[in-house]
Amino acid sequence: MISIKDVSKTYKNGTHALYNINLDIQDKEFVYIVGSTGSGKSTLIKILNGEEIPTSGSAIVNGTDVGKLRFSKVPLYRRGIGVVFQDYRLLPKRTVFENVAYALEVVDKKKDEIRTRVREVLKLVDLEDKSTAFPDELSGGQQQRVAIARAIANKPKILIADEPTGNLDPRKSDEIITLLEKINKEEETTILIVTHDTQIVRHHPKRMIMIESGHIVADLNKGAKF
Amino acid sequence: MFRRFARHIKEGFLGVFRHLGMALSSASAVMITLILIGLFLLVTLNLYDMTKSIESSINISALVEIGRENDHEAIEKEILAIDGVKSVDYRSRDEEFDYYLETQGSDELRDFYNTYRDDNPFRANILVEVEDGDQMATIRDEIATIDGIDEVADGGANTYTLLEILDSVRLFGGILVAALCLLATYLVYNTIKITIASRADEIWIMRNVGAKNGYVRAPFLVEGIIIGFLGALIPMILAIGAYIYVYNFMGGSLFGAFYLIEPLPFVLYISGALGLIGVVVGFIGSYISVCKYLRLKR
Repeated sequence: MISIKDVSKTYKNGTHALYNINLDIQDKEFVYIVGSTGSGKSTLIKILNGEEIPTSGSAIVNGTDVGKLRFSKVPLYRRGIGVVFQDYRLLPKRTVFENVAYALEVVDKKKDEIRTRVREVLKLVDLEDKSTAFPDELSGGQQQRVAIARAIANKPKILIADEPTGNLDPRKSDEIITLLEKINKEEETTILIVTHDTQIVRHHPKRMIMIESGHIVADLNKGAKF
Repeated sequence: MFRRFARHIKEGFLGVFRHLGMALSSASAVMITLILIGLFLLVTLNLYDMTKSIESSINISALVEIGRENDHEAIEKEILAIDGVKSVDYRSRDEEFDYYLETQGSDELRDFYNTYRDDNPFRANILVEVEDGDQMATIRDEIATIDGIDEVADGGANTYTLLEILDSVRLFGGILVAALCLLATYLVYNTIKITIASRADEIWIMRNVGAKNGYVRAPFLVEGIIIGFLGALIPMILAIGAYIYVYNFMGGSLFGAFYLIEPLPFVLYISGALGLIGVVVGFIGSYISVCKYLRLKR
């Protein structure tokens, strides 16, 4: 599903973010990408999301070569990938239901379809009773659940979560990772979690890829010691 | 399709209401620009009309050689064959003499000159009307080469100078209108740029869940059109009211010499044009702004 071969990325200002990265991630896998600030993990995420294209090498995601992805084709490509960020990025003037529905409205889904799917994902993230609440009426953990619900509303094959627990306490962080595990299992979505929080990796051990200074320094299977 | 269209319209209006202060300040700036555009359009079009009226009132006088009067029909044909000649009108030597007498102020003078009728010094005249004043000089030179033509006269250097001045003023007005249109476009462009920045999160979400660029762009385009149209409303009303007032105040002419264009339907066209300019600059300004943003952020 994700096949990265010899990918390097150098920005216009001369910054080298990635050096000859090689990586394969299978369907329905649950993977952590761990690294310190400036290690290149965000660049990797941007490449996977089609925001950046590799300077060299190839990144094949859901059968599409990101390097050859035309600007006009980016929106369709992104429908196969869900993204969640540390700061939730919810629309403050819309309710929970509307925030999730928004992701379906912009891709022209029918009203009935939207209603059914939003209820489905809100049930999955355990926020059915909060559908009429506004984001500022929710806790951080609940807001992140809404962001996750929105990201999976379109049934993407891959869900990328960039520091999803960065703003949460350990208990809430644990709940979010548990939720992502549930999505991985029930929705059969490939999950990529970018984090520098090694605690969550210890509590929910899975495959872990470590990036430092633009290089993959370790690719550890579930349960490996680090 | 219709649902999506209705949604874009609704989002566009909501965008204006959510950023009402910004939208109104931009619409005011557009309004001032459109008032100036309206003013220059009214002046320029009146000058255009004036120029055309002067041009159409100028004839070329082709004076026939004495003794060749019987050839006038053949000469007229030759003149009519020249590109740009609209019509010809032949006046015999006697008719020319009569015309001269008519222009004399007193009967006394008329009687005095009339004593010279037997020695009529006037030449037969073929009055030539041209289609476009710009061609006047070329046509005049061509007529001069026709056999049987003694001399060719037209309005003279002063008329050409006046026409040139009016042409320059017209051109200047046109350039100014174009420049003001660009300015209005720039004003809308900047407003939409700020609106986009304040809605970066929303755009980010749309793009991340796979909304097509056209979908992201549409509400901003509607917003730009609304701002442009709002900015055009007062200039549209002002153009109608002010022109009718000035027209009536001046008695329909400029210093009694040149007629102003009649208000109806002229002002309605100008008003419509201002509305259209407002909508178009609103659309273009927001289009450039949102396209630039979307290109910058893949």
